Amino acid sequence: MTLDTNALLIILTGALIAISCGFLGVFLLLRKMSMTGDAISHAVLPGIVIGFFVSGSQRSLEVIIGAGLLGILSTLMIDALRKKAKVQLDASIGITFTLLFAIGIILINLFAYKVDLDQECVLYGEIAYLPIDLWITPSGLNLGPRITWLAGLNFFLVTGFIYLLFKELSLTSFDEHFSSAIGIPAKGINLALMSMVSYTTVSSFESVGAILVVALLVVPPSTAYLWTKSLIPLLRLTAALGILIAILGYYLAYWIDSSIAGMMVAVAGAFFFGSALIKGNWPLGLRGTSKPSPAFDS
Amino acid sequence: MITQVPQPVLEVHDLTVSYDQHPVLWNVDLSLPAGQLIGILGPNGAGKSTLIKSIMGLIPPTSGYIKIFDKPLQEVRTRISYVPQRESVDWNFPASVLDVVVMGTYGKLGLFRRPGKKEVQVAQDALEQVGMTAFANRQISELSGGQQQRVFIARALAQQADLYLMDEPFAGVDMATETAIFQLLQDMARAGKTVLVVHHDIHSAMNFFEWVIMLNLHLVASGPKDQVMTEELLRKTYGGKLNLLTQVTDLIRKQDFNPLKS
Repeated sequence: MTLDTNALLIILTGALIAISCGFLGVFLLLRKMSMTGDAISHAVLPGIVIGFFVSGSQRSLEVIIGAGLLGILSTLMIDALRKKAKVQLDASIGITFTLLFAIGIILINLFAYKVDLDQECVLYGEIAYLPIDLWITPSGLNLGPRITWLAGLNFFLVTGFIYLLFKELSLTSFDEHFSSAIGIPAKGINLALMSMVSYTTVSSFESVGAILVVALLVVPPSTAYLWTKSLIPLLRLTAALGILIAILGYYLAYWIDSSIAGMMVAVAGAFFFGSALIKGNWPLGLRGTSKPSPAFDS
Repeated sequence: MITQVPQPVLEVHDLTVSYDQHPVLWNVDLSLPAGQLIGILGPNGAGKSTLIKSIMGLIPPTSGYIKIFDKPLQEVRTRISYVPQRESVDWNFPASVLDVVVMGTYGKLGLFRRPGKKEVQVAQDALEQVGMTAFANRQISELSGGQQQRVFIARALAQQADLYLMDEPFAGVDMATETAIFQLLQDMARAGKTVLVVHHDIHSAMNFFEWVIMLNLHLVASGPKDQVMTEELLRKTYGGKLNLLTQVTDLIRKQDFNPLKS
């Protein structure tokens, strides 16, 4: 086991991404919209390709804007299919993100000769390359890994977003009608949340990939929700899980020499199943330890 | 039997509301006096909740308009309080009773500002009024149906409004609680608040409401209880559909008419 600068940077980046995704994931979970997060993370692909085509770079602002717009478009499409065309929520999610994802694949193939967009990177990501991808200013100053800065900025924006709109986010998650009735724009808050999810997804692409982002949006909040039934502890526990997942994920991947992002999600999954085993409502013979439900702290 | 009042708290003008081109409320035109406990009666599917939701601006009307305190809804939102149906939310949401009641103060707080000591005090007072102080720190998922209903009413009280719109606040509530809440609502009306309640039970409606609105897709009656709670109007409200069906059955029998044969 070594703890050098590279390891520290990878763990820090992983933890920042896991916490950002986890915070947003808590609100998706409470809105029963976890799969909408999944849909968004796939539906942003055409936006990335178009942004990439416009700017010619995978790291440009256009890519993030394109992805953000597509994320919002997919949210609106899901909502419209459900409300206007009376399609079930799960079906409308399935229709929307597969369609947009397919358009993304077609676009990649159409423009493939013009652009160098690594599909594997978009889908799977590789956090291990982080230490060699540095942010160097025109004057030659080395500021460290670019992706760590991106993850830090994302973390800062997500935390600020949730801090500022905490009251609105929790009210609209609990009772949409009531919030509209007292003049808090439930639809606007929802779109703002979905934009943050789109942005976070894109920002995390290069390190953990589009597919594993979904796991970080869904699994840590669901795990924490097994342990606590109040909102603030739920957010804290999700953040703690994010840090733990990054540390354990890195060292286990280092140990068996495999994908760090993959191992992070595997660790998250292990935490979830462990928690489900302890907290779940199993028949008596299967039950591990039977504890009374913990006192609810506020 | 529709009584209009001068200087009404709430005026509904020629309101028609439809879902998917199906009108669920036809031409409702009424005005309501201040400081009264008002009941909305009618059979299932009569449009009672729809009326409340259109007043709150949650459903856009097909035609007609609504004025509250002689102004459009947007200008007086903070003076109106709303209790949605209990089943409209998921009670497994991770929040304490106090958290939910504090939500009643959010409308006046506005964007970004956080509830402070004052808001918590308002919420505590509201909880005391519905007799739920002992449950302040309880998770809402651990409450019974009647307790959940009282939490919703406390949240509406915390809004400190002048007009209260309540959508079936007595669904799944036992008699003792219902009476206690009715007495609370009567006190509020006496203090000058106007309380509008969607209600099912004609018997308790007789005992507690001062003004009654009877709906069955169209407005059957709106007026002081003594004048509108008549057998004729109740039959018009609740028996309308039944009568029509009976007539059709009679007609078929008389003429030996069977649409499937011809």
